[in-house]
Amino acid sequence: MTAVIEARGLQKKYGKHLAVDGIGLRVEQGSVFGLIGPNGAGKTTTLRMLVDIIRPTAGELKVLGSVPRRSGIALRRRIGYLPGELKLAERIQGGTLLRHLAQISGPVEPGRIETLAERLGLDLSRPVRALSKGNRQKLGLIQAFMHRPELLILDEPTSGLDPLVQREFLAMVREAREAGQSVLLSSHILTEIQHTADDVAVLAGGKIIAHGDVSSLRLSSVTRLRAVLADTTAETVRTALSASPTLQDIDAEATSTGELVRLSATIRGDVDHVVKALAQFTVRDLTVEEPDLEESILDLYARTNGTK
Amino acid sequence: MTTAALAPVRTPAAPILSRHLLDGWRGQLGWSLGIAAVIGMYLPLFPSLQSPELSKLIDSLPAELVNALGFDQIASGAGYTQATFFGLLGFVLAVIASISWGAAFIAGTEETGRLELTLAHAVGRAQYALESAAALIVKMLALGAVAFLLILTLNTPVELGLSATNLLAVTLAWAGLGLLSGTAALAVGAATGRRSWAIGAGAGVAVLGYGLDAVGGTGEDLTWLANLSPYHWAFGNAPLADGFDWGGLGLLWGLSAALIAIAVWALSRRDILG
Repeated sequence: MTAVIEARGLQKKYGKHLAVDGIGLRVEQGSVFGLIGPNGAGKTTTLRMLVDIIRPTAGELKVLGSVPRRSGIALRRRIGYLPGELKLAERIQGGTLLRHLAQISGPVEPGRIETLAERLGLDLSRPVRALSKGNRQKLGLIQAFMHRPELLILDEPTSGLDPLVQREFLAMVREAREAGQSVLLSSHILTEIQHTADDVAVLAGGKIIAHGDVSSLRLSSVTRLRAVLADTTAETVRTALSASPTLQDIDAEATSTGELVRLSATIRGDVDHVVKALAQFTVRDLTVEEPDLEESILDLYARTNGTK
Repeated sequence: MTTAALAPVRTPAAPILSRHLLDGWRGQLGWSLGIAAVIGMYLPLFPSLQSPELSKLIDSLPAELVNALGFDQIASGAGYTQATFFGLLGFVLAVIASISWGAAFIAGTEETGRLELTLAHAVGRAQYALESAAALIVKMLALGAVAFLLILTLNTPVELGLSATNLLAVTLAWAGLGLLSGTAALAVGAATGRRSWAIGAGAGVAVLGYGLDAVGGTGEDLTWLANLSPYHWAFGNAPLADGFDWGGLGLLWGLSAALIAIAVWALSRRDILG
């Protein structure tokens, strides 16, 4: 397989601060690659180096077979890039901005912008500065996808999008892969990309601390669980759930009326056991929160250091 | 996919230049109206000011102040137009407009994130800086055209007695003086990415230029100070009265060209800030 992105010993220093500390990356053609890590891990710095917005301090970098610093505009015509933070404050309409960007990107088919806008639910006639964060993000996604680039580099693409649009976006990513495009996207939320990405690298403190396909990473997600159970007692719930290997910090208490049991716990790993254990009770309410990536990474650190 | 066979969106020869011009039409109109208002307010007063009382009033003012404001020449149409428009309010308007554009094109777009978005597409750094500078020049020349045409229109009705050639000479000097502050803002914006620094640099050039010219005019042994002043390069040899001052124009436009070269170089070699 050919690589669309190849980095070796890639480093970026700001003064004495090492934002990216000698990372190696390989993104295969036609794959979806997820770069995950908490905020400040170096994701944005890495992605900006790929499109020559910032220049590496040291290391080798090749994007679509050429060096970003030297290959100039011919290379960027083949890339679609979504910046990490779009704080645009233009008076012009969204559609006008997109048509301008279409003039300086790879060729865009007529009607393509409108199709994408309709798909994501963006009103192109509104001034850019009047758009909400989510709508500005849609604008950013359209300009990245509109010229059907060989390589999509998307920095936190789902941030600000509501769940329905997030789903539409993930569908667009899958379609891009089916069309032979390669995608590199970053996120600080693991679940957002774990079902879409073929490969994942975990970035923390400017270093890649884990790398592989999603399942082999064994990135057990650390998730908060909350439930309200009926027709039982706190004691029964505690006994029933303490047998589950993935549940920790179990806290079960009867509500003030005594009819219900309020449960909160941490799921470390697979959620399956938990659901099956809960099924014996009458579940009135159930909340499983987004896993906290930072906790997951700390967990991964602990486990990898423990096994070595 | 039925539309795929149609022609793609047309790429203009200078996409960044045309975008700057199209995005900024409101500002351009506003500055043009401001210039028209100043010209329309001051120049029609010229005939009514040709009185002995005014001459007496000017004689009673301190000579340094009269010199600094250019009121010593106020009895001629050329001196009056120079003192009220080109040397004073027109100067202020041209400089502020130019600085605001020069600071906005690179540092301003960088601060809003638009520059990162643009440069991630098929636009080179040098191309971006050059087209931004070209937009600045076009916009300043457009302001110059407004001033030139309005003053020329008023020339006969209010008996200013200006020569069209000399009016062109002073308009180019005036636009060049504004442009110099604007390109200073552009270059510092390109080097730092900070709009406030860019504005500071442009304003510094303008204020220093005006100050050096004023101080340099107060005494024979201080004229060397005036020779360092862009304001003096533009108006020191009274182009509106005496015609083209090629040396002064060369300094203004040449130094602007050098600042544009610095902007291109600076933007090409650094990281874009978020």
